[in-house]
Amino acid sequence: MRSRRAPHEPTPDLGALGERVTAARAAAEARGETFYQGASQTFLAGFPPPERWDDWVELDSKSWPQRVEHRSMLVPTTCFNCESACGLLAYVDRDSLQVRKFEGNPAHPGSRGRNCAKGPSTLNQVTDPDRILYPLRRAGERGAGKWERASWDEALDTIAARLRAAIIEGRQNEIMIHIGRPGEDGFTERVLASWGVDGHNSHTNVCSSGGRTGFQFWTGIDRPSPDHANAKVIYLISSHLETGHYFNPHAQRITEARAKGAKVIVLDTRLSNTATHADFWLSPQPGSEAAINLAIARHIIATGRANWDFVHDWWNWQEYLAECNPDGFQDFETFKSTLIEKYEAFTFEFAAAESGIDVATLADVAEIVAGAGTAFSCHSWRSAAAGNLGGWQVSRTVFFLAALLGAVATPGGTFPNAYNKFVPRPIHVPPHPKVWQELSWPLEFPLAQNELSFLLPHFLKDGRGRLDTYFTRVYNPVWTNPDGLSWMEVLTDPDKVGCYVALTPTWNESAYFADWVLPMGHASERHDTHSYEQYDGQWVGFRQPVLRAARERMGETITDTRQVNPGEVWEENEFYIELSWRIDPDGSLGIRQYHESRKHPGEKLTVDEYYGWMFTHSVPGLPEAAAVEGLTPLGYMRRYGAFEITKGRGALYAEEVPVEEREDLHITSTGRVYTAGPKPESLNVGPIGAPEPDDEGRRAVGVLVGGTIRRGFPTPSGRLEFYSSTLAAWGWPEHALPGYIRSHVHPANLAPDQVVLLSTFRLPTQIHTRSANSKWLNELSHTNPVWIHPADAARFDVTRTGDLVRVTTDIGYFVAKAWITEGIRPGVVACSHHMGRWKVTGHDEVGPGGMMATVDLARDTDSWTVQARHHVAPYDSADPDTRRIWWSDTGVHQNLTMPVHPDPISGMHCWHQAVRVTRARPGDAHGDIAVDTSKAHEVYRQWMASTRAAGTYSPDATRRPAWLMRPLKPAAETFALPAGPR
Amino acid sequence: MTEPALADTLPGEEQAVGSTAPPAELLRALGALSVVPPPASDPISAALGLAAMTAADHTRLFVLDLPPYASIYLGRDGNLGGEAADRVAGMWRALGLDPPADPDHLATLLALYAELGVAAVTCRTAAARARLVHARSVLRAEHLVSWLDPYLTAAPSYPGAEGWARLCQAAMGHEPRRHADQPLPAALRDAPRCIQPTDNLDQLLDSLVTPIRIGFVLTHRDLQHAGNQIGLGVRRGERRYTLRAMLDQDPAATLGWLAGEARQWSTAYRRHPLDGATSRWWSARASSAAIILDTIATQAGPMPRTRGTRGPAVPTGSKHPGMTDTSVASPEPPMFTSAPPAIS
Repeated sequence: MRSRRAPHEPTPDLGALGERVTAARAAAEARGETFYQGASQTFLAGFPPPERWDDWVELDSKSWPQRVEHRSMLVPTTCFNCESACGLLAYVDRDSLQVRKFEGNPAHPGSRGRNCAKGPSTLNQVTDPDRILYPLRRAGERGAGKWERASWDEALDTIAARLRAAIIEGRQNEIMIHIGRPGEDGFTERVLASWGVDGHNSHTNVCSSGGRTGFQFWTGIDRPSPDHANAKVIYLISSHLETGHYFNPHAQRITEARAKGAKVIVLDTRLSNTATHADFWLSPQPGSEAAINLAIARHIIATGRANWDFVHDWWNWQEYLAECNPDGFQDFETFKSTLIEKYEAFTFEFAAAESGIDVATLADVAEIVAGAGTAFSCHSWRSAAAGNLGGWQVSRTVFFLAALLGAVATPGGTFPNAYNKFVPRPIHVPPHPKVWQELSWPLEFPLAQNELSFLLPHFLKDGRGRLDTYFTRVYNPVWTNPDGLSWMEVLTDPDKVGCYVALTPTWNESAYFADWVLPMGHASERHDTHSYEQYDGQWVGFRQPVLRAARERMGETITDTRQVNPGEVWEENEFYIELSWRIDPDGSLGIRQYHESRKHPGEKLTVDEYYGWMFTHSVPGLPEAAAVEGLTPLGYMRRYGAFEITKGRGALYAEEVPVEEREDLHITSTGRVYTAGPKPESLNVGPIGAPEPDDEGRRAVGVLVGGTIRRGFPTPSGRLEFYSSTLAAWGWPEHALPGYIRSHVHPANLAPDQVVLLSTFRLPTQIHTRSANSKWLNELSHTNPVWIHPADAARFDVTRTGDLVRVTTDIGYFVAKAWITEGIRPGVVACSHHMGRWKVTGHDEVGPGGMMATVDLARDTDSWTVQARHHVAPYDSADPDTRRIWWSDTGVHQNLTMPVHPDPISGMHCWHQAVRVTRARPGDAHGDIAVDTSKAHEVYRQWMASTRAAGTYSPDATRRPAWLMRPLKPAAETFALPAGPR
Repeated sequence: MTEPALADTLPGEEQAVGSTAPPAELLRALGALSVVPPPASDPISAALGLAAMTAADHTRLFVLDLPPYASIYLGRDGNLGGEAADRVAGMWRALGLDPPADPDHLATLLALYAELGVAAVTCRTAAARARLVHARSVLRAEHLVSWLDPYLTAAPSYPGAEGWARLCQAAMGHEPRRHADQPLPAALRDAPRCIQPTDNLDQLLDSLVTPIRIGFVLTHRDLQHAGNQIGLGVRRGERRYTLRAMLDQDPAATLGWLAGEARQWSTAYRRHPLDGATSRWWSARASSAAIILDTIATQAGPMPRTRGTRGPAVPTGSKHPGMTDTSVASPEPPMFTSAPPAIS
């Protein structure tokens, strides 16, 4: 052995050496040099450490090889470009006080510093040459494209006067706020509640309500929270990864699970990005997904892999037997036998015949699911649940699998979302409004998950009501909804919509027809809190005007967000406080009190007090965490942008009900427990089902399981509702169990020359209605060809990709380019839904609208045509990139050609269309659209005929089951059916 | 809110990350020197007060002779990657992190070790701190100290590496040591058996280039040195090939030299233990190897040179009595039939 070990020497002064290295590194990095290279750059997260967020130095890449330093303040906020609410870090230039870029916020527990393309593109929105900077008032006819700048005072006074008059005159139902991108949970609802108005309208029934319905009937909570990261099997029924909802937070956790060996199964008729990463990609006939789920369920039951202990304890099987088998045995073995018998018909052969997936593949998938045990995470959101008549049974049958396996709120299982969401109680909670808005919650849809928002034009045409003042909030109903030209008809008719106020950061197809266009901020220009289920934990994220936070760090006092936003761009919080004060300036209407300071009664509530109160009183652990750092709770959130409240929530349904809540208990024969004890006040006001009290007014508090009173689920039975007594009682007994409803686009319902059009998918690089204001995203993807399988292309006589095709629906047609691909099932075509942005000729004088086509819109009574006059092209602006637009094709706005298809139970618009695809005719041009809105109204009537209205079917003379979730639930007395003919 | 003392939350942990821990930047810098060649690493060397290595010396040490990957020293075959690297990657995943490309490289390990120390100091809750301190302790025991004993025993003899190795040893040795009753690192606990007298030639050769099987490291330079010492030709090639050629030429002398080498390593570990139980394990393994190599050398006896550069070629398949060439024999008879000495 040669001389190996160094002579034993005194231990060097490691501390001093460490300091020397630290100093050397700091000096090198200050010079813009890299001190460590390669693997030595390993850090737990490659993000600027928070202690340097006040003064972060980077080199300007464009100045290379000169070393030009940028000094930035790093200010967290929350992305506003999808529902994930990922954390962003704004790099605010210390010299110019402008945002240079957005990157991920490492302190955000959901997104963990990562973002998709939409997050950094917030910068495009902030600097968009098309953005609206000042309040604008219509100067000519509606839609004429003439605008004049107005002051905020003028806008507020005018609108407040209308609202005040409507409220005083008892016309509360003529006020409506229609929400696009959700902001803070419950904020708009509380504003409306403070006005006494049931005017909340959401886009959910063209989005996710079909998915929600299936989960709600099982758990009393309308969203799932899959613990993907710990799953053995991940089962997704969605177009792309949950269709962009939680795309980034879930994708990163699915990636982790895959690294640990998890199997990913994707059911998507179209080859989505997610499908390309799956172990199994199943491309079923659209609408057959529930049949596949039931065949898997049958396999789990038949092969003895059901978690019978879980089923015994947590399903409402006793209620099912009592209601549906009253003369039979009432024991669990009988239920098991019944279950086997009920699903006996859902063989692999049946599912194969319905779906077109071969039996062997279905068997392989079923075996993998059956072997997942309690580590089975699943999700179904838009896609099949949003596409098909009865689509809500897709999510109901997906959760059926989790419920059979006992994979409910287990590690790697699927949680009810309320376990993983925290909505902090706000400073003021106004009472429930005492009116019922029938334009949103019509009697025909007593079980609708959300507002029948997409039927509004037809209801207005039918004379069911009118709107005095209609707000849209970051929403574009003409473009987003099916049958957008019917929307245009009512928005341009002052008899139907008296005043249309568009709260929007950017121009859109609807805002052009508004009376007032009021500029609202983007992600870095407004306040909101958010909390979403993205893993088994609860977090609260904070969106804030980053320049406000930056200037406050520099010692300035900011009292109004407009002081820091570009132009006169505002935020809704301050806007609604101010508007509410102007509706009720002296407080006599009882409105002002909900927008007043607590610290200084009689003064306006400020956003600092609003959030300061919330973070101090309603977010457990936050005050303590802030104190450790010498910050106030609000200061902490302004500093870090997010706070994790809990982690590892587990099976909350199994928690024992505390003794103090047990008072004068009443326990039913099926184990439902009611208590006379008061409900403890919760700091978390996130929405869940509200089971009704017993006949003596005791509240539902839990269920008896094995002799112990446990919390259970917020359903009528307190258990997972395999059998929905609600569906049975409200006229749909045939659908009370998880089942299979044949879609309106089932092959049996198609003519020989018809195919199914899938329109529910979108690309993860696109924002629903605001991509045209984001140049980077637009460059990535800007068109939406029609996916056609080669076999169909031959049938349609379409020879090559790029050929024009005419796609004919029940009410019109659109002309688009073909994309011939094997990524779609034969007999099905697909077209992405978020393309085809346009502006009407004449509106191009308002702003450059550089990434929207300019179209001629022609109307002849009920017949409309849309033809592109100019496609997009390079143009001059303050942004040199607008000269670099290399594309001209912006796709086609296919939604205009789709009639409304309301599901009679969930109320979801069933997006899939039966269409005919042919070669384009001579004279057809890309983007052409033709629609007959009278036909659209006729299709509306046909679908309405299949509803079962509360007037006929309500079991208790109410409009709707009171326990079901509902945004802005009105006061109990409003649930009573109205007098008169029903 | 008063946070619980870390000692309360970490039974068995003598000391949390605190003032006695080596500074994170020192650990990062030491790791960086093992991966960044001069001159890019010169500023780091200067900051550490070390003389800069030449690029050739750096390559010889860290690329050719002693690549600083845990898997080479802990793997059951002495190869890069495999289960030993997977174990480190698993630790990254357990921490909720994506493993980097070379998770078991010394630079990566020291950087992670440094980061865990920083995170443990800056995290917000006692529970998080306890988890991080524990993770750091596990990383040190399982993935650093577990193989740095042989590595830092071998490295100082390379030109320019002595100061670096000394600082590494000081930094790692400065940390709280494990309790005597704490289990050995998993890689050592599940280590493959030591060489056996019953091993055939291929098994012996495999073991001799596998540090965990013999308790010490044989480098190209060592073999060159051995050839010079015992007067054998050193054939150029990978170490296994070179060793085979030496054994062909003079098995007793070669085996005797290897036994002596093993004894010296065993003693060296005891002289400067990096961590009690772990160092003892390496020392015992080298000692066992020495005994077995002595035994094999004795039974082999002096032998004529049947292969190699200095002897006449023998026909393929010919065997020296007692040695089996697995290329022609199957099933494999033992190299020697006498019982091996007991290994305590």
